[in-house]
Amino acid sequence: MKNLDSVFAAYLIGWGIFFVYYLTVARRSTALRNEIERLKNSLNRSK
Amino acid sequence: MSVLSNTTALLGKELRTEFRSRELLTTTVVFILIVMVLFSFTFDPTVGESRRFGPGLLWLAFLFASSLMLQPCFLRELNNDTLSALRLSVSDPFAIFLAKLAANTLFLLLTELLLLPIFAILYNIPVLAVFGQLVLVFFLGSLGVATAGTALSAISAQARMRELMLPLLLLPLLTPVLVASTEVTAGLLDRQPFVQWKGVGFLAVFDVVFLTALWIFGEYLLEE
Amino acid sequence: MWSRLIGGSAVLALVGGAAYASFYVAPEERTMGLVQRIFYLHAACGLTMFTAFFICFCSNIAYVFWRSAKSDALAVSAAEVGLVFSTVNLVTGPIWAHPAWGIWWTWDARLTSAFVLWLLYIAYLLLRTLIEEPERRALLSALFGIFAFLDVPLVYGSIRWWRTQHPQPVLMGGPGSGLEPTMLKIFFFSIFAMHALMVLLLIDRYGLEKMRGEAEIVRRELEAA
Repeated sequence: MKNLDSVFAAYLIGWGIFFVYYLTVARRSTALRNEIERLKNSLNRSK
Repeated sequence: MSVLSNTTALLGKELRTEFRSRELLTTTVVFILIVMVLFSFTFDPTVGESRRFGPGLLWLAFLFASSLMLQPCFLRELNNDTLSALRLSVSDPFAIFLAKLAANTLFLLLTELLLLPIFAILYNIPVLAVFGQLVLVFFLGSLGVATAGTALSAISAQARMRELMLPLLLLPLLTPVLVASTEVTAGLLDRQPFVQWKGVGFLAVFDVVFLTALWIFGEYLLEE
Repeated sequence: MWSRLIGGSAVLALVGGAAYASFYVAPEERTMGLVQRIFYLHAACGLTMFTAFFICFCSNIAYVFWRSAKSDALAVSAAEVGLVFSTVNLVTGPIWAHPAWGIWWTWDARLTSAFVLWLLYIAYLLLRTLIEEPERRALLSALFGIFAFLDVPLVYGSIRWWRTQHPQPVLMGGPGSGLEPTMLKIFFFSIFAMHALMVLLLIDRYGLEKMRGEAEIVRRELEAA
């Protein structure tokens, strides 16, 4: 089954790309959510 | 038709501006010449090989040159702050685009026709017999390049790194023009020359599609 | 929160199911053998990529005429997600091609157009990073997006016409050509699963873009205060 590694590689890399993208979006979202929190707190303090 | 009269007036201005200094034409011609010389080092320039690679290299040179030549198109207006004056002077912003793309097509065609005999001599490919047909494919190809290029020049002029951005936006978009023009030119420069009417038709379709798109969306390209 | 978890699990189940079906339910292809199974992932990604780019195109048109920030957010999200599917499509292609036909790449119509499409949308995203003012960025990138999408059939048509002039090795028939009924069913299932994944990624990315807009508003309020 010499082609098995090719098939595995394809599916692994394919899913890997999706997973990495999903993680980057999630990471950016969390960072942004915290940033908004921080900004809102500064805004409330200055009011 | 006021669009036509506006266009002719603006076209006159574009031509007068360029022919006063001729800097755009001269630099473009020299650039294509340099590229032609460089190409000779990339393959064995026998007559047979030149017939195979020549058309593609010729059009590649035209495309690279156009992505540089189209830079000042709207950049000049932005730098001199003349864009708002231009917009006020016409009733339909499409006239501005029509004038600029007509001028650009003309400039491109001029440089291509100037370099055609040099190309024929350097690579030993006879072009006299098919000169008329070559003018046709040069015209249709240049029209496509100028249409897309003028539109994209308006976009890239408003971005950072605009010198690099225009080729980046323009060259992938012009793939169909490169393919079709090369094919038709190759047919004309063949040992038994023939006209690829399918390619000619394809170039015409490309031109119509992008002219229509420019007509519909042009005014938004020039928004303040 | 719960809807996200359920949605995410559903997508995971679909994608996993499609993969399982590709491996264990689909019959083995006669000539290529095991490696042909990559086709289910590769081709499904290719089609999903088109859907994403079409969504981007529609959002671009919507922005030019109605100028809503939501259209812009959807446009950039669809472009990015489409680019991800495009990347997977371009990467899995050679991995399938090399064991199947001995070559990594061929400049046939489908692959070449896919590559040009990838380049066009990379340019789209790059353009966006180079324009600072949000409304200007939205408008100019929308206009480029429209031109780029109009170009797609022209790119495919020109390369297809050109490539048929010169004899090329016939590598793969269309996805539907000569596909056995079970294969066809699994293929459609894969397409459905990939589209579900696309929707999930779109929703997440769109949420991120909306948050960016929100952050900008709060930042401006802070500066004004």
